[in-house]
Amino acid sequence: MTTASAARTPGVDRSIAVEQLTRQFGDLRAVDRVDLEIPSGEIFGFLGANGAGKSTLVKMLATILAPSAGRASVAGFDVRRQQGKVRRAIGVALQEVGLDPLMTARELIVLQAQLFGTSTGPARQIAERLIATVGLEDVDARKRVGDYSGGMKRRLDLALALAHDPLVLFLDEPTTGLDPASRIDIWNEVRRLNSEQGMTIFLTTQYLEEADKLAGHVAIIDHGRIVAQGTPAELKRGLGEEVVELSFETADGAERAASVLAGVAPQCRLSDGVLRCYFPVAAREVPGIVRALDQASVPLRGLSIDRPSLDDVFLRATGETVDHAREREAGEPAPATVTR
Amino acid sequence: MTDFFILIVRSLRTYLRQPAAIIPGFAIAVFFLFVYSAGLSSVARLPGFHGSYLAFILPVAIVSAAIGGATLAGEAFIRDIGSGYFTKLVLTPTNRLALIWGPIVAGGIILVAQVVVILVLALIMGLGSATGPAGLLVVLVFAFLWGMAFSGFAVFVALRTKNGAATQAATLIFFPLIFLSATFVPRQYITSSWLKVATDINPTTYVFNAMRSVLIDGWRAGPLLVGLAVVLAFATVTGALALWQARRATQLK
Repeated sequence: MTTASAARTPGVDRSIAVEQLTRQFGDLRAVDRVDLEIPSGEIFGFLGANGAGKSTLVKMLATILAPSAGRASVAGFDVRRQQGKVRRAIGVALQEVGLDPLMTARELIVLQAQLFGTSTGPARQIAERLIATVGLEDVDARKRVGDYSGGMKRRLDLALALAHDPLVLFLDEPTTGLDPASRIDIWNEVRRLNSEQGMTIFLTTQYLEEADKLAGHVAIIDHGRIVAQGTPAELKRGLGEEVVELSFETADGAERAASVLAGVAPQCRLSDGVLRCYFPVAAREVPGIVRALDQASVPLRGLSIDRPSLDDVFLRATGETVDHAREREAGEPAPATVTR
Repeated sequence: MTDFFILIVRSLRTYLRQPAAIIPGFAIAVFFLFVYSAGLSSVARLPGFHGSYLAFILPVAIVSAAIGGATLAGEAFIRDIGSGYFTKLVLTPTNRLALIWGPIVAGGIILVAQVVVILVLALIMGLGSATGPAGLLVVLVFAFLWGMAFSGFAVFVALRTKNGAATQAATLIFFPLIFLSATFVPRQYITSSWLKVATDINPTTYVFNAMRSVLIDGWRAGPLLVGLAVVLAFATVTGALALWQARRATQLK
């Protein structure tokens, strides 16, 4: 059975199983005893800030990095002992695109398909199909990849990952740096690959919206450890059904409110001067909140009721918002975040 | 074998898209041919020298062209590693030998094309071959093998250092290999004893001798077999180093 036909055949193992997987770089434990079970045909969202361990885990599953401890299998093959079989079964688009700048898009896809055993004629057909799939059909066919924009390179990299119809696709931050339209194109393609070909897709992202829209299950990684795992709905439900968002005239007001409301709202998170408190039914709690703040003379600027987002889940799991984590990675001090 | 062929074609395509990487090495080889054959031709009038000086100096031009071929393969690996494309190739089920030897052999093919042009230029300049066209073919084979040997070394350094400047610098060690030899005059005219020792231990000397013997003396088994043994030994050592480094580069880290 060829890989291409296997991709559409029910019963073919397209699962990912990770057991206590660990990767150490000197003193740094980039991935720390991670366990994951991803069934065939799933879109799995792997969330985390820069440096949390997402790419290291992907590289271990893609047989680029060796695990320091633990086990993992992809499409039923052990990543350490059956590297060749894993490589035939997977497509990989890493965060850093890997393209020869001197070649054209078609040449690269044809070469990729040929190296996976496709003969020249069908490889050319694959190239034409994938060029159209990733929206590069209007680009001059003679244009070398070195002259492509960052977004075009990323789309071409995705096309290369698909050139042999993999069973499992690893996409490491596939939409980082893309404009909104390109991002939606990639999302649509990910959905199509999953629904039409039954491809298991392991998607790392910093964008909570992306994971929310695409993934059936998500996991959040922080400092190498999985800190939350489940369906987006389950994770959000774990915080409470509804959230009351309070904003204040001053940052000091927000800090004081967090303290005042300790008895009324046991699950609150403060970020950027905004306090978000989680409840089963928010409307029932609003009078008590307003009364408590009024009695403590904390001036309230705004109050709204919302549903918890994955950002709330991320905040609870890691102690900071995704935006703050990005700022921290960029070397900017993160605003004070009070959690309890 | 298919992977090997596919990767040779890919490398040839990318090499030809960088004329700036091919032309300087070729220009230096042609420069050697023109300048030394014109400027030092009186060497041929020295007592005991036989044959034309053009036939004597031609192997120097050819060996210097081989350095160009070596640089191409080394730089190709640096480019692939730097762009991340090497990782993509490693993640394919491609034969690891093909991954390494594809760019090297493609560099050798470019070298052979250059040598053909150099030989044509030399023929136009009046080169005569004591062994006829077959001798020119032997020169071509030696050039290809010597180019492979150079490439193996350049690829070893490229994979070892993953640094373009280091790879360029490493190929410079071949200049002593060219010039610390019977490069411009036969060995018997070298007066310095240290240069005589350097000439005797320099493998390039035996490549020069083999090429010169077919161009000037006719078919003589001695210089040809010694030259062939030296070039194969050198290519085996550098090829083994390149493969050893390639195995490390393509293994899980």
